[in-house]
Amino acid sequence: MSTAPMSPATWVRHNLFRNRRDAITTVIAAVVVGWVVFQTLRFVFGTARWEVVRANLTLFLVGRYPADEQWRIVAVLIAAAAVAGLVTGVLTKRRRRAAIADDAPLPPLPFARRLGLIGARYWPALVLLLVLLLLARTSTPWVVAGAVIVAAVVGRLVGGALPPKVGIVLYALPVVLPFVALPFLTGPLGWDDWGGMMLTILLATVSMIACFPLGLLLALGRRSTLPALRGLSIGVIEFFRGVPLVALVLMSDVGLGFFFPRDALPGRVVRVTIAFTIFTAAYVAEIVRGGLQSVPRGQTEAAQALGLPPVRMMALVVLPQALRNVIPALVGQFISLFKDTTLVFIIGFLDVLSVADNVIQQPDFRGQGLFAESLVFAAALFWVGAYTLSRESQRIERRLGVGSR
Amino acid sequence: MTTRGRRSRWGAAALTLTLALAACSDDDGGEGADPTSEDGTGGETEDSTGITLVQEGSALAAIQERGSVRCGTRDALPGFAVLTPDGDHVGFDADFCRVIAAAILGDAEAVEFVDLATEARFTALQSGEIDVLVRNTTWTAGRDGSEGATFLQPTFYDGQGMMVAADSPYQTVADMDGATVCVAAGTTTEGNVASEFSRLGITPTEVLSFPEPELIQDAFIAGRCDGWSSDVSQLTGLRSEFPDGPEALRILEDVFSKEPLAPAVADGDTELAQAVEWAIFATIQAEEFGIDSTNIAEFAESEDPLIRTFLGTAEEGGTFDPGLGLPPDYAVQVITQVGNYAEIFEEHLAPLGLDRGLNTLWSEGGLLYAPPYR
Amino acid sequence: MFFQAAVLAAVAAFGLWLAGNLRANSEATNIPLSYDYLGQPARFPIAGSSFRIEQNVRSAIIVGVGNTARVAVVGIVAATLIGTLIGIARLSTNWLVSKAAKTYVELVRNVPLLVIIIFSYKALFLQLPRPQEATRIEGLLVLSVRDIAVPWSRVAEGKAPAVLGVLVVAGLAAWLVARWRRSVFDRTGQPARAGVASTAAFVVITAAGFVALGGPVDVTSPQFDEGVVSGGIRMSPEYAALLFALVLYTSSHIAEIVRGSIQAIPKGQTEAATALALAPGQRMRLVVLPQAMRIALPALTNQYLNLTKNSSLAVAISYFELTNITKLSIANRSPAVPSYGLLLVLYLALSLTIAGITNLVNRRLAVGDR
Repeated sequence: MSTAPMSPATWVRHNLFRNRRDAITTVIAAVVVGWVVFQTLRFVFGTARWEVVRANLTLFLVGRYPADEQWRIVAVLIAAAAVAGLVTGVLTKRRRRAAIADDAPLPPLPFARRLGLIGARYWPALVLLLVLLLLARTSTPWVVAGAVIVAAVVGRLVGGALPPKVGIVLYALPVVLPFVALPFLTGPLGWDDWGGMMLTILLATVSMIACFPLGLLLALGRRSTLPALRGLSIGVIEFFRGVPLVALVLMSDVGLGFFFPRDALPGRVVRVTIAFTIFTAAYVAEIVRGGLQSVPRGQTEAAQALGLPPVRMMALVVLPQALRNVIPALVGQFISLFKDTTLVFIIGFLDVLSVADNVIQQPDFRGQGLFAESLVFAAALFWVGAYTLSRESQRIERRLGVGSR
Repeated sequence: MTTRGRRSRWGAAALTLTLALAACSDDDGGEGADPTSEDGTGGETEDSTGITLVQEGSALAAIQERGSVRCGTRDALPGFAVLTPDGDHVGFDADFCRVIAAAILGDAEAVEFVDLATEARFTALQSGEIDVLVRNTTWTAGRDGSEGATFLQPTFYDGQGMMVAADSPYQTVADMDGATVCVAAGTTTEGNVASEFSRLGITPTEVLSFPEPELIQDAFIAGRCDGWSSDVSQLTGLRSEFPDGPEALRILEDVFSKEPLAPAVADGDTELAQAVEWAIFATIQAEEFGIDSTNIAEFAESEDPLIRTFLGTAEEGGTFDPGLGLPPDYAVQVITQVGNYAEIFEEHLAPLGLDRGLNTLWSEGGLLYAPPYR
Repeated sequence: MFFQAAVLAAVAAFGLWLAGNLRANSEATNIPLSYDYLGQPARFPIAGSSFRIEQNVRSAIIVGVGNTARVAVVGIVAATLIGTLIGIARLSTNWLVSKAAKTYVELVRNVPLLVIIIFSYKALFLQLPRPQEATRIEGLLVLSVRDIAVPWSRVAEGKAPAVLGVLVVAGLAAWLVARWRRSVFDRTGQPARAGVASTAAFVVITAAGFVALGGPVDVTSPQFDEGVVSGGIRMSPEYAALLFALVLYTSSHIAEIVRGSIQAIPKGQTEAATALALAPGQRMRLVVLPQAMRIALPALTNQYLNLTKNSSLAVAISYFELTNITKLSIANRSPAVPSYGLLLVLYLALSLTIAGITNLVNRRLAVGDR
């Protein structure tokens, strides 16, 4: 915002002591903020006993995933990092080319500046990573983190070097990855014994993937001119938007079983995933509907003028534009889902929150009032994830906004 | 006009797919089972589901086919069932799950433990998620009648008591006028506290129920409640593990309810019910005969016809098979792999400081009485 | 037409399949699907209410609806006030204030509500002093792990209709005064102080009425005696923890909505207000906020609905609102499927009620606009 550099004194006068009222406000606020910051720092670096977190780090992150199978997680992490690197590489290269085509080539940034940008963009995740590494008791996590970073960097370099035609193929990778990674991770364990952050990510990812087609169809159904279909879609959407997720989660645990034949009863994780999926689908439907409405009428008319049949028109003209416009909202919905997965705590799954609540009952830590420590740590895990995602979604939003107008 | 028609066809296609999807998502869940969407939408709903549900003895057959017993229990009740860091379930209830597995399958380790929240226990039984519930559950008429559960031979005769802080002024429940009492939600204890207080002509300020014992403990330590009421056996277990040491707590003498803790199977499963019941009787009968896991070998050649029948030792006219669906040597499996009633009790409940009380053999004035095995 | 029929048939078949399973399972397990259980005795107590265990399940559920409403209504009012303040603070020209508000919003918004609720209960409210050592400010506040009590007023017995009458008359008078002042303003353009005048009218008439009735309303303040609290209004720590967490979380969302709505008001409005020599406070209160709130209302409605639905997270900490009571009654032999069915319907009804009220407000606000 600021155009000309201000001297510190001017800045302070302008931003903190503009007039007498402002000055009083500043002083009061400074006292309050100072007290809060002081208390927080004192807690984090002084009074808090982080041993309970330290001793249970593995439990927080992966639950009871068997130790001799944890290499699978490492493999998936490395693969995910490599894919992320590849895609970023391809995307950056494409953007560069586009910029050159527009006669406005992006000047390559110096390496240090680029690191700085990455730091500014992902600082919460980086700080969390550092904290986790510092809390770890062995050197393995350091090696894993190193390998993941190397994989990401290598992926990025390879992605940047690939010819664009090959690059396009790589877009499929992030879509394919979960379908490969999940069975790979589930292999030794089955569905019902996941725990910790992994369970949270599993529930959120699977529900999001599963709810998307359902939400899309509900949105199309709601836009349909057939009254019965529209009525049905509206009914489903509004019903699930009107009830609390907690009720659905509870019901998935003790009520949903009645709707299945007895010999085909899905496991608990699957049942709760169904609850999350249906609930989120109702919201996704509304988001997609908003996106469909945002596509100008001229687009459909133009497509008709070109003689496109309705299905192709929807798939090739309307949906791509609609979905592009709703990516930020979908990310927002994913963030909600990510946070909402904590509800499985209520039905006794061993998710992050449940771990935080349980570890303080361990013989070594029992009765010492360590709620604050373990809950703050759990909150921090969620905060970093949700905050990073929301910032990314804002970035996408800004970029889309620039592109479409 | 054309636009409209076309768009609506889109919607139709969309919904068809929705349904297919919804049906598919069911498939994903059915670990191994496979109700295809055609089945689902075909309309032969009644027969396709009805058969599997009411078929006589299907549960016992299913267990034998599966090779494991799915036993509903819990993971954090000291003495009865606790989950160790290695993922093992240890305790009195857990051992009775093993007794059942040893009797039916001949392998005490063929148990899939399913940890259940209090309010999920009966639904888990009803929906067939578990075969048998051994989860510190009181046998009451209401539960027997309207929870779809059939209760069997109790494994533990308990009664409800009250625990208070050691330094509190309360000596009996009658002193607790105006006290706040914490209980576990969804158990018989909630109602019992209220009934007992009104019987004594006093009123509690509040009866607070919490979903899990951990939360009661947190609340109790914080001073949220004056009394903590539950089955005496549970209180004893919880007291023994109390963070400030057992001395910080006192269990009042009053016992104000009958709490027979019994295993349960789903209604309509006579065969499984009989098998489970006789598995439990075996532990009691073995104690009566004086047979335990250490000395069972000595009884192999026993001349006592009752013992020979009980252990399924071959007799002149062949091996006795009462037709319970259990192997003839099931008692041997139960005793060698798990133990008799006394052994199970001594291993898990005696260390908490519980004495056998009502849970001794009938011949010693207790309530344990196994019908004759012949 | 064909598609429609096919799809409907498929839906109907799917529904039938579910219903068939449900019926078969219900028969096999002997669990009824009827609502007869509502008339059965509940057999469980409800903390913080006068509910007796002999009363039936229906009454228990009614207690639950009441408790949900109790937390939702107070929560909505508090979250709106705090959220609006923080939303305004977010746009303050004062760097410190806006950064502090931003930090609050970003910190709270990105943490799961359930974590906040459990933190609030276990790490804050359960850590309050024990009842014997309660923190107290004489006559104003008693704060312990069992009771959070503040002064409250109570209508003397038998005088409720008279008090209501006085309040209605006073309210009517306030409305008339406000109308009159506004018409004066419209005619003369002189500052009318309609708010002050009508408040004064209300207060004067109420006071006169109460004097005439001989003090029908007692203000009781919490009294503390050896750990026992009497008088005032008492909140349980469970209620307080839930309310605190819900308000904290929802206000952070409301702050963002309010900020966005204020930013959506054209700058010309503020400039015009400045040109009319309105003070910054007046500018916000009289010009910007009323318009911003109109924009914010649909989004706020969503937050109100969310808060109401989120109150069901009370199941984690033993505050007995609708969901928790349903859960409790299922654990006490109410059949699961009908119970949850009823629960969902009741929440739908609550949601529709709130949406209906805000829609009404919305329409009223929108009338003068376009």
